Amino acid sequence: MNKPELESILKSARLPEIPGESLEMFPRRIVASLKRNDSPARSARNFSPHLAWACGLAACVIIAFAIGHWSGRMETIPATDNLASTTFIRETLAMFPNRLRAIVQDERGINLVLSENADVPISSPLYVHICDGGHCSSLVTFSGQEIQIAGQKVTVLADTHGSVILSGPHFMWSDNGQVYAGGHLKITTKNLGLIPM
Amino acid sequence: MACMAGSDNESQLIEHSLSGDPEAYAALVVQYQAMIRAVTFRMTGSPDDAEELAQDAFLRAYRQLGSFGGGSKFSTWLCKIAINLSLDWRRRESRRDEIHSKWAAETVSENSSDGGFPDELSRRVQEALNRLPAKQRAAIVLTIYENQSHAEAAKTLSCTEATISWRVFAARQKLKRLLKDLTHEQT
Repeated sequence: MNKPELESILKSARLPEIPGESLEMFPRRIVASLKRNDSPARSARNFSPHLAWACGLAACVIIAFAIGHWSGRMETIPATDNLASTTFIRETLAMFPNRLRAIVQDERGINLVLSENADVPISSPLYVHICDGGHCSSLVTFSGQEIQIAGQKVTVLADTHGSVILSGPHFMWSDNGQVYAGGHLKITTKNLGLIPM
Repeated sequence: MACMAGSDNESQLIEHSLSGDPEAYAALVVQYQAMIRAVTFRMTGSPDDAEELAQDAFLRAYRQLGSFGGGSKFSTWLCKIAINLSLDWRRRESRRDEIHSKWAAETVSENSSDGGFPDELSRRVQEALNRLPAKQRAAIVLTIYENQSHAEAAKTLSCTEATISWRVFAARQKLKRLLKDLTHEQT
């Protein structure tokens, strides 16, 4: 296939048709939003309720982290890790009851993984910190949830003693020292249910 | 779809929008929504995400209208906002994919598989575009679908012309491989 042929194919690709109703409603939705919120002169920043909530939550995280750090209770978890904050986890759980599948944090920020339905059973939050070479990330999830580690699907489990087990078809790790694969990864886990929340 | 040229009427609409008239801005939205929604669709492959990103692009453009100096065409300026929002969206989605979670990835693929294409070729092309790295896809969207020169695309994506040329070259190679069986079907 030469360049003009490729270009011809690309250009002949059409888009799904946008329903007329959508085309008509789209500008109205924008106008409605502008009338509610913005003017070009004053709105250098769009301070949405979600953003406000996020800022409030971030402030809580910082305060909780500072208090925790000061009282020396978080020494087993990396000091920069917001997921170690039980306040943060409790508030996030309260925001999304039975929908929170995981809170994930890496060097770029925090993300919530939510279920579409309120079908996530209540159980102790489990903290997992993984370093694969220079790339580290942390997450808080719950027993029975599936995550991906080094490209492999792994189920996070908590046993009756509160130990955390990561188990997959070709992967097994537990915090009592049993490692059948994934030896190159640096993994730290903690059953946060053991911490009074 | 090529970027449309500005006009006196467009300048007036921008001025009225700047003085706080949302209805004037609505006229600009009507004029450019097809173009912006096409850009965001090519970038995301999902009608829902495309619509949401197009809406964000128009809202952001309105808020930043004061910074539009008329140095470029309004359509090019809008296009830049839309494409950069799409790249940010892609980064967020990639981050979710990376961070050891399968759920977000499933959501993306469910959205991406949304049909509605008028024919098989269109669906195949979008599928192939979806498989390009986001920056290469942006380079193709701007140069092929928006008819921007490599210099214009470089300004839009805040990179050098050489980078754009490389991205377009690399994207073409991948697209040729992905779409090679369409040559005969089409001719």
